Amino acid sequence: MLLLQNARIASENSPVLLESDVLFVEGKIQDIGSGLAVPKGARVIDARGRVLMPGMFDAHVHFRAPGFENKETITTGSEAAINGGVTGVVMMPNTRPAIDSAAVVATVLENAKHRSRIPVYTSGCVTKNRDGKELAEIEGMHRLGVTMLTDDGDTTNDPAVLLRAMQYATEFGMFFASHCEVPELAGPRALNEGVMSYRLGIKGSPACAEEIIIDRDIRLARAAGAHVHIQHVSSKEGMETIRWWKSRGDVKVTAEVAPHHLLFTDEHIGDYDTNYKMNPPLRTQADCDALLEGLKEGVFDLIATDHAPHTPFEKAQDFVSAPNGITGLETALVSLYHFFVRPEKFGWDLVVKRYSAEPRRLMGLPIPTIEVGQPAECILFDTEAETTFTQDFMKSKSQNTPFIDQTLKGRVDLVILGSEILLER
Amino acid sequence: MARKDLLDIASLHREEIEFLLDQSTSFKKLFTRSVKKIPALEGKSVLMLFYEASTRTHSSFEVAAKRLSAEVTNFDVAHSSITKGESVRETIETLQAMRTDYIVVRHSHPGLPGMIARQTTASVINAGDGAHEHPTQALLDAFTIKEKFPDPRGKRVLIIGDILHSRVARSTSTLLQKLGVEVAYLGPGSLVPKYVPESIRRFTDYEAAMAWAPDVVYLLRVQMERQDVQFFPSVREYHRVYGITTARLAEIRDKGLYIMHPGPVNRGVELCDAVMDYERSLITNQVENGISIRMAVLDWLTPGGDFPKQEAYNAQQKASSPVIVP
Ligand SMILES: [Zn+2]
Repeated sequence: MLLLQNARIASENSPVLLESDVLFVEGKIQDIGSGLAVPKGARVIDARGRVLMPGMFDAHVHFRAPGFENKETITTGSEAAINGGVTGVVMMPNTRPAIDSAAVVATVLENAKHRSRIPVYTSGCVTKNRDGKELAEIEGMHRLGVTMLTDDGDTTNDPAVLLRAMQYATEFGMFFASHCEVPELAGPRALNEGVMSYRLGIKGSPACAEEIIIDRDIRLARAAGAHVHIQHVSSKEGMETIRWWKSRGDVKVTAEVAPHHLLFTDEHIGDYDTNYKMNPPLRTQADCDALLEGLKEGVFDLIATDHAPHTPFEKAQDFVSAPNGITGLETALVSLYHFFVRPEKFGWDLVVKRYSAEPRRLMGLPIPTIEVGQPAECILFDTEAETTFTQDFMKSKSQNTPFIDQTLKGRVDLVILGSEILLER
Repeated sequence: MARKDLLDIASLHREEIEFLLDQSTSFKKLFTRSVKKIPALEGKSVLMLFYEASTRTHSSFEVAAKRLSAEVTNFDVAHSSITKGESVRETIETLQAMRTDYIVVRHSHPGLPGMIARQTTASVINAGDGAHEHPTQALLDAFTIKEKFPDPRGKRVLIIGDILHSRVARSTSTLLQKLGVEVAYLGPGSLVPKYVPESIRRFTDYEAAMAWAPDVVYLLRVQMERQDVQFFPSVREYHRVYGITTARLAEIRDKGLYIMHPGPVNRGVELCDAVMDYERSLITNQVENGISIRMAVLDWLTPGGDFPKQEAYNAQQKASSPVIVP
């Protein structure tokens, strides 16, 4: 039994935080109200001033297992998630072997069951070994619960292959998540084409490389009657394209945006700082502004981090050699608070809607809320405390994030899942 | 005014540039003596780390170092199967253990010399990193121009060719602008990026560029090996549209314009054969001035002492640019 006193409750439906006591009994929310009596034997936590909300859900993470366990494992990845207030994730299938068959899915899910304290879901590849040629064993994966298909890390480059996959898999109720970039335009180096790419002498990847595939994949989905989910949108025009298609209403499109694309521009790369090297690349302030508008407007259904760990050794190479990607699970919520909620660019309701409820809706999962009778799946967030993202703080195996050693306002204090407290600070 | 490394032109102050150009003048005077060697760097070691072949820059640095009495070692990159960034880091550790005083490095990856500089006590000189910078080339170009125009302010330099892939264009234009020279780029639309700095005029039409009235026409080498995709239809077409043809040379001679080229020249591509005999071609002057400039740079840098390790550097980068304020 756990009683939180005077917590401020956030929900996706209301911009106002409701101050109340919340009583947890046997993994469920037993009672909500002010001045609740303290049951015998209950643990009491004074939550005054702190925000209670459902646990976040990240629909785009790379846990690197199998194959790249030196970067991350399901254990370290899920502990990183908990550390950031995230109580459920969907892994991307660009592992080695790639998650492209029922056999690999079974192994991965079995591992997840034993090695993670939170639910870990996996997506499956569209094509065998992610090579864009032959369809993966789609129905087999579906039977094990996979609903999201993606060749993330790359676009499924042959439109005929993707169209066939869409026609086939939609029959099982599966949907497609698209990493959008024309490889011939983007080239191998993750840097926006612009003033910065000129200055650094690296051939850039133009935003149109993303826009073209966003448009292409939505058109393919429309032709196939499929649901397409556009991943990590980085550009203004990409957002506009999605907005336009959504306004037509004749195709099912959802989309996500990552915190780093809202926060950073190519200018941050400065003197070749590889912690800002990611794919799709950071673009300009105008893009950031547009993405924020898109998020507030609902063009983006959800926020996802694209948590992409790499070892310090790999990231300490020169900019061209270093791999793409930054970690995000541990910094997402605090940075969303610090840079957006605190300066009142948007409210907690948006955070709960976009980073907790919508990603679960996308995955067809039940949505935790702070309501009587609901299973306990929530976090307590201190808006006045601070978090310093030191190496010691981080639970991920990798610390390739621009936030390393930075201090931001806000702290995840408590993570509750069922009858267990997964984290307490 | 001491510096450990020379990595780029962008961070050089005007006084440093003036100093190096002055020093180069003094060193150049040595060339006419029968004994060309001075003991400035006696007992010092210079390591040549060239991941990309370059006879010209390599030998220029070697001659410069030897004239300063330094010992020159060539790191055998070609035979050590080192191509990837990971192995470069292992090499750096080896080099640090060797306690060499100077490392002259050329690599196809932009920013890589800076990475080496942060992990060694040696003075690192960037001899060209991808399409990023080639600072000694820029200095020798500026020196060559100043020999013809002692006060180059307001003079105009038209750089023609593959701007997109050219570290020479970037470094030389930055340096010339710091000296008050006006710079314009001319080349195919596929090779002159739309987003070059606003201070640089951008032309894709030869006649329009000539109407801008340049004092110097600086031709870049067409680097066929760098063209992973086709940027222009054919070398013949390139020569006709952007090259100095015989007819265009006549016009250039009439106007008395100087011609420069960082070499090696592709005859019949950037320029016709006759340019090599043109009295206002400064191409050989550039080669000669390369040695005195590199002597000035080697003599100027101060190797040894503490070096900012990568970690310390990262921390300092973070401190100087706080995360963000959206
Ligand atoms: Zn992706």
